[in-house]
Amino acid sequence: MTVLLLLAGGGFGAGVFGSLLGLGGGILIVPLLTFGFGLDFRAAVGVSLVCVIVTSSAAAGVYLERHLANLRLGMLLEVFTASGALIGGLIAFLLPDRVLAGLFALLLVYTAVTMLRRRATSAGDASPSIENPDDAAGAAQAPGPFRAALAGPGYRPVRLGAGIGGSVFAGVVSALLGVGGGIVKVPLMHLVMRVPLKVATATSNLMIGVTASASAIVYLLRDGINPLVAGPTAVGVFAGAMVGSRVAQRIDVRLLRLLFVAVLALTAVQMTLRALG
Amino acid sequence: MTAPMTASGARSAGTAASRSARVDRSIARILRAGTLVSIGLLAVGVALLAIAGGSPLERTLPGLDPARIPADILALRPEGFLWLGLLATLATPLLRVAASVVGFLGAGERRMAGLGVAVLIVIALAVVIAQGPAA
Repeated sequence: MTVLLLLAGGGFGAGVFGSLLGLGGGILIVPLLTFGFGLDFRAAVGVSLVCVIVTSSAAAGVYLERHLANLRLGMLLEVFTASGALIGGLIAFLLPDRVLAGLFALLLVYTAVTMLRRRATSAGDASPSIENPDDAAGAAQAPGPFRAALAGPGYRPVRLGAGIGGSVFAGVVSALLGVGGGIVKVPLMHLVMRVPLKVATATSNLMIGVTASASAIVYLLRDGINPLVAGPTAVGVFAGAMVGSRVAQRIDVRLLRLLFVAVLALTAVQMTLRALG
Repeated sequence: MTAPMTASGARSAGTAASRSARVDRSIARILRAGTLVSIGLLAVGVALLAIAGGSPLERTLPGLDPARIPADILALRPEGFLWLGLLATLATPLLRVAASVVGFLGAGERRMAGLGVAVLIVIALAVVIAQGPAA
């Protein structure tokens, strides 16, 4: 009973923090289950993928109703994120636990650095806006009928080839490490494909469910998901994400973000030690 | 000459936008319903697990066997609800893709419908390949 409550409580905390900081829960759930509950890395990734699908499905519905997510762009890219996730799911069963832990440590460092940089640049973000879509990159490519179908109000995605390649990579990362892959997809869509940040975030969220499902199927059919652990953790993450999204507007997350960066750095050290044996 | 064409273009764009909004709304409903069903099933499983007592980390379950799920649910065994909740969780995004295919076909957007079919083919491949022997 105590372990059950701790799993649900840990999931709740991951859901709240993930929601407040704009991260999927995966980056928190995998360390929680490996260090907190002694699960092996692959088992933690399997549970994390389930949690990631739950939060993505819940949030994606809201994003679609508010017309923030670009369904057409998402459907194009998720062919490739799902393919990458299938490949990653198969590779995950070939790689030793220590290699996966090492890769996760790298992801933690990358996420921490991204969060610090976001903090530094948030005051003067010079990224493309909905109002100014036709920057140099956008104007360089003629809008064919297919590209036109992917356009949204005031923007037109560019560099589809790079977006497709990056999507395969995002799928592999998601499947290997049990994360949604937003940390790859959002910069890819925003900075490379020139999609507005809010649309990129919402579209990435929409794609996460399908991406994680492709690899979660591999984990499920290869006995990589323990429902006794996945159940309480997923229910906790869902409840936490609901609470987090309701209080997000009332909380100043700047201090929270710094604290979180410190936690990520410490976890990266732990993961590195695990990788080195 | 220009004015009637503009009006017709605006009407056509308006119709396309309203069709697109309808597809978005119906997909949002599917996602919301799927999430509620998944979480509901998982929550019932967790409650039954709590009533049964013991640590979930100390119990081992046999792998997924869909044929056992109805019997487990009828017997109010937690694993039945948990397995079904997991399957519903994984199926929700795929239902969203299937609904998009139907929506895009209805709107005459065959290329977009084709992309949805491609996603479903990748998922079907995942099922087939995952059932093969692990290296």
